[in-house]
Amino acid sequence: MISRKKKITVNLLVALAFFSFLIWAFLVLAKPNSGGVVAREDQWSEIKKQKTITIGLDDTFVPMGFRDRSGKLVGFDVDLAEKVFADLGIKVKWQPIDWSMKETELNTGNIDALWNGYTKTPERAKQVAFSSTYHRAQLALVVKKSSGVHRFDQMAGKVLGVQTGSSGENALNSQPAVLKQYIAGKKAIGYDTFDKAFTDLNANRLTGLLVDEDYAAYYIKQQANPDDYALLTGDFAISDDVVAFRKGDKGLKKAVNQELAKLKNTGFIQQLERRWFGQTSLDFGPTEEKR
Amino acid sequence: MENMTAFLPGILSGLQMTLGVFFITIIGSVPLGILASLAMKSPYFTIRWLVNGYIWIMRGTPLLLQLIFIYYGLAMVGVPFTRFEAAAFAFIINYAAYLAEIFRGGLQSVPQGQFDAAQVLGLSKTQTFFKVVLPQVVKIVVPSFGNEVVNLVKDTSLIYVIGLGDILRAGSIAAARDVTLVPYLIVGALYLIMTAVVTVLLRASEKRLNVWR
Repeated sequence: MISRKKKITVNLLVALAFFSFLIWAFLVLAKPNSGGVVAREDQWSEIKKQKTITIGLDDTFVPMGFRDRSGKLVGFDVDLAEKVFADLGIKVKWQPIDWSMKETELNTGNIDALWNGYTKTPERAKQVAFSSTYHRAQLALVVKKSSGVHRFDQMAGKVLGVQTGSSGENALNSQPAVLKQYIAGKKAIGYDTFDKAFTDLNANRLTGLLVDEDYAAYYIKQQANPDDYALLTGDFAISDDVVAFRKGDKGLKKAVNQELAKLKNTGFIQQLERRWFGQTSLDFGPTEEKR
Repeated sequence: MENMTAFLPGILSGLQMTLGVFFITIIGSVPLGILASLAMKSPYFTIRWLVNGYIWIMRGTPLLLQLIFIYYGLAMVGVPFTRFEAAAFAFIINYAAYLAEIFRGGLQSVPQGQFDAAQVLGLSKTQTFFKVVLPQVVKIVVPSFGNEVVNLVKDTSLIYVIGLGDILRAGSIAAARDVTLVPYLIVGALYLIMTAVVTVLLRASEKRLNVWR
């Protein structure tokens, strides 16, 4: 049997080791931003030296950035970002992320930018820096023509679906007078991806689906009978797609903005927009105007 | 049905990740689980408390949350795990906690009389553990261990939250792109195949071990 003295000694040692570990952990945690240092400095010179940049995207996000059947990343944002950084002599490393973790990924320094149909909102402005707007889209309500809904107010008492964490969900809540006041229970059903919401729309469990026009057009095209659906636009503010950077990355932001302005002038962006969406942002009028 | 084959290459690309997390978890969590189960029977109460606290935290919080804390949380305090390392670490310490409880159950089912007998026969503590106790414990824990292994096959899908692409994620990508549920059918079939293989292997090992019962 173990002697009483040995028992006390070992117990004391283990307890001491444990508490010193706790104190150490507490000190590390209490030190402000000890690990976030990397994330605060301007990384632009480092990126230029390495000639690679890591950009985060949700690779299920059609038609902005997704994988084709061979597993290759394609989409409007993928094409545009690769052109921008190719012109800067930098290689893009795409990092798939979970969309609900996007700002955390950026601010912990796992990725250097978010480029994936990211919309400007006041809440996001507190956490990240935005590039200039490179694409604009309108929120649309997708309904089946058989539902008889032609205007937003006809959604009275009907069930609406949105993607959780999407700009559609944000707009629905920040501008309740436009659509939220009509829908059943004044609350939309949240889906993690749009394709699941579309399945529910087809099963008549949803009457309407609030989604960016670009995505809506893509999904409708994929359906067996595209003519069965109608796209309704209403009074929602037009959303501005931007690239998100860490607030400290001023050099990177400046370089990307210059490239975006150049590509807008040469018509490259408009060409890409027509290819992926069938229309250009210019169709919504000048940038400043908000409907 | 011919378009089912079109989804296969994309989904199979996620298989490596799923299997990688699965095997590394099995390899890492079994020894750690054995250690923890022994520590729970330690004569020193501080060690018992620490291990019980560890098991309480691991079993008392969702694995998804642990993944988020280990990857994003630790990065904020300066522990730079890569995505795969974070996934492996989270899965190993989580599964070790469950396995420790299973092994403890196995250890407790060996009657005290056998320990006493081994002592009388002059066997050392190490000999008693490896020659007398362990062979019996292994037999007892195989069914519950198998349960955890089957769970692990399916739990690997949680790694999507730290941006790793497993077969379920690959299925979601295909489902979003082609707006169809067919990729999920394929993913479901793949999980069934994997759990079937695991079940058959565990049954076979159970049979072998039962020879000397």
